[in-house]
Parts: sequence; C-alpha cells; structure tokens
Amino acid sequence: MVHEAVDPGSKDITPLIHHPVLWAGAIGVFAVVILQSVIYFRAIRKAAPAADLTPAQVTGSVRSGAVAAIGPSLAVALIAVSLLPLFGTPAVLTRIGLVGSAAFDVAAAGISAGTQGAQLGGPTYTQKIFAIAFAAMTIGGLVWMLTALILTPILSKGGAKLRKVNPAVMAIVPTAALLGAFFTLSFQEVLKSPVHLVTMLASAAAMGVCLLLAHRLRLPWLREWGLGASIIVALACAYFMTSAA
Amino acid sequence: MSNKPSADTSEGFSAFDRTTSFWGPITLGLGLLISLAAALYAAFGTGLGVTPLELITAVGAVLATFGIIAVIEPVSYFPILGRSAMYQAFLIGNIANKLLPAAIVAQANLGEKPGTRRAELIAGSAIIGAVLVHITTLILLVGVLGTWLVGMLPAPLIATARTYILPAIFGAVLLQSVLAMKSRRTTIVAVVVAAAIVFLAVPLAPSLTYFATALAVILTIAISWFARVKTAPPTVTHAEETSAPDAAATN
Repeated sequence: MVHEAVDPGSKDITPLIHHPVLWAGAIGVFAVVILQSVIYFRAIRKAAPAADLTPAQVTGSVRSGAVAAIGPSLAVALIAVSLLPLFGTPAVLTRIGLVGSAAFDVAAAGISAGTQGAQLGGPTYTQKIFAIAFAAMTIGGLVWMLTALILTPILSKGGAKLRKVNPAVMAIVPTAALLGAFFTLSFQEVLKSPVHLVTMLASAAAMGVCLLLAHRLRLPWLREWGLGASIIVALACAYFMTSAA
Repeated sequence: MSNKPSADTSEGFSAFDRTTSFWGPITLGLGLLISLAAALYAAFGTGLGVTPLELITAVGAVLATFGIIAVIEPVSYFPILGRSAMYQAFLIGNIANKLLPAAIVAQANLGEKPGTRRAELIAGSAIIGAVLVHITTLILLVGVLGTWLVGMLPAPLIATARTYILPAIFGAVLLQSVLAMKSRRTTIVAVVVAAAIVFLAVPLAPSLTYFATALAVILTIAISWFARVKTAPPTVTHAEETSAPDAAATN
C-alpha cells in the first residue's frame, strides 16, 4: 500500500484508510478475539461437568449461538459494506464489525469532523479529518471497554448494592442521553441540505416499514435487517435526487 | 451470581473463575491497547500534522456526548451477562443485536434461565459460536467481497454513499430508538431540547456548534429527570435495563 502518499489536505483518503498500520491493528483485534474464544472454550469444557452439562450440550450451545448469529452478522456486514467508502476496510472491520457499532461510531466520527469545521464524506473530508475522526471514535469507544474492565470486578462483589441506589437513574439517564444525542445529530444533518432531509426521512420511513412488517407478519429477522435495508433505501433516494438534479 | 455450589462442583467452577478472571481482563485489555495504538498512530504517526489539542478537542466532544452512556451501558448489561461473559461481550461488540439473542436462544434450548452458573457457561458457549460466525462473515463479506465490490462501483455512487451516509443511518436509528425506549416524556423533552439547540441556540451563538450534542445530552437528562413521574417510581427489571440502552446506540 502506498503510505508515502499521505497528505493532510488530500481529499483522496484511500492511501490513509488502507494504511498498513491500520490493517495490522485490525488483524491484531481479530486475533485477540479468537484467542479469547479459544481460552474460554477450554475453560467452559473443563467446568461443564460441575454444571451438569455434557460435552454434547456445550457443543450444542456453541452451535445454537452460531445459528442465532447468522442473521445479525449478515445485517452488520451489510451496514459495514455501506461504510467502506467512508472509513476503509480496516477501520470498518474493527469499529463497525467488532468492538463498536455503526450508530455510535458514525455519530462520533461526525462530531469529531465537526470540531474541525468539516463534514464526513463531503468536499471538506480530507485525510486529516479521517485521521482525527478515526482516532476520536476509537478512543471514545475505549470508554466502554475501560468501564467493563474496571466495573466488572466491582459489580461481581457488590453489584446488587450499587444497582439499588436509584432505579430511576438507571431508567431515565441512558434513554435521555441517547435520544438527546441522536435528535441533535439528526437535526444538524437536516440543516445541511434538502437532500439530507429527504434522505433521512427515507431512512426513517424504510425502518418504519421494516418494523411494522416485522411486527405484523411476525418476522423477527426483519428487525435485524431494518438498519441495513434502510441505509440502502435512503442512499438510493439520495443518489436519484442528486443525479436527477 | 454464585448459587452456593456444593463441594464437588465448586472445584470445577473455581477453576473456571480463575481462568476467566485472569484471561478475560487480559484479552479485553489487549484489544483496548491495540485499538488505542492504531488510533494514536493514525493521528500522530502518519505525518498529517494533527496536534494533540485537535485530538483532545475531538475526543472531548465525543465523550461529552457519549461518555455517560459508555459508563452506564456496561453496568446495565452486567446482571444479564454475568462476570465472565462481560469480558467477551465488550471485546466483541454488537451485544444487544447479536450476543444476547444468541445466549438466550442457547439457554432456552437447554431450559435454563439467566443468573445461574449453568446459564453462565451456556451463554459463554453461545457467544463463542456467535463469534465464529461473525468473524467469518466479516472477513469474507466485508474484508474480501465488500472491498472488491466498492472498488467495482462507479465513482458517483461511492460519492453519494460517502456524502449522505449520516442521514441514511440517523433516520433509521432515530426511529428505532424512539420506539425501543417506549418513553414518550423523554422523547418529547429530547425533541424540544435538540430543536432549540440546533435551530435557535447554535445560529445565535455559533461557538456552541462543537458541543451542541453534548449540551443537548446534558439538558435532556436534567429536564427528563425533573419531569419524571415521581408518584410511581419505575421498577427496573433486567429486561428493561437491556432494552434501555439497547438497539440503537452502541455495541
């Protein structure tokens, strides 16, 4: 890969998004996930008799987990592919595929680009903006991992006590934080252009149809595919609007 | 989470607890360090002239918006996942849409409910199965096929995808979160606060732009808190805890 072509103002982000070091990071994260699964599998097999689980039941549980994950994995892959032009393969594989999620990482990248007065994907999206957005969404995502690392041992000791503090806090704060963040981000997009507005409405409408059909026809898989399908429908609308104009 | 196992079974479990409480944090920590290294390299190692202040500003804006959720989410998943699976879940991600359903299906197949040691082992096994499928699809469909596909698509199509990907994601995510949260009060507060900030406050004071989202998050939390139904305090069950930060947001 041509990493000597790195240039902060360049709008061709290809050399940077496929930088060998980013690839090495992605491969490293995949390797750690596989290593963890191997260690856990061996530990579970050893402890299984104590929990009245036969080896066949352990393998059976691995299999049911695998089958249950087929739909969600394909749905995540669809979303990831639609983000490839924006973030490149290594960043998408680690941030969207593993560890993070589309909604958080794209929002975080947009917020980071905003601190530079730039927008993702548009004419202001340079190599430098990608670098800042990628670094900030990754570091932001680390807080989840860090919290899990620090709080898991604490919660295992006195979890019940901590959660009893105030159930209303646990019920209201996450909901309010999430809705406040996504309504603000969405309204900011709406202001950018009429095409942005229609694209967003198309996305919401497609999601609405998916959720309604999932509910009416009892197709739970449609719920998982909702986001991927909505992105495709919305981008198709954006494409027809811009190419028609 | 312990069920006071009898003497002969406690030996098996304590070996499991030793292994996972040692290797769980190590693998999660390794994933954290590799991600951090890649992030810092992208910002400072590539010669793009990103200053520490620029990165701190960007990270600050992200954390001001999502920091609270990032702390609360692991706390709310703990009762369902249990200690050992916490280290799996927060390394792998896609918890609400993939790992939890996989774990619950596997537990149901063996007639087990979350909370017991047996359920913990079944959940761990199911997560391993889910990881195998997930990694395979990612490598084949995104890494190989997706990269090839994006290379084949015409440039204007890619440009459209790049420019309009944010509204294309946010529209669906917004609707999904509003429906998943099932909280009309908080939704109304969020809409009013966000509209006031984006359409009124920012045009009047453009310097607010960077922290508009963070400001909206703090105000929505504060107002929702004071406007909550105080007569009937909500009882938080495990199911509600998952559905709260669920679906839309993270992991």
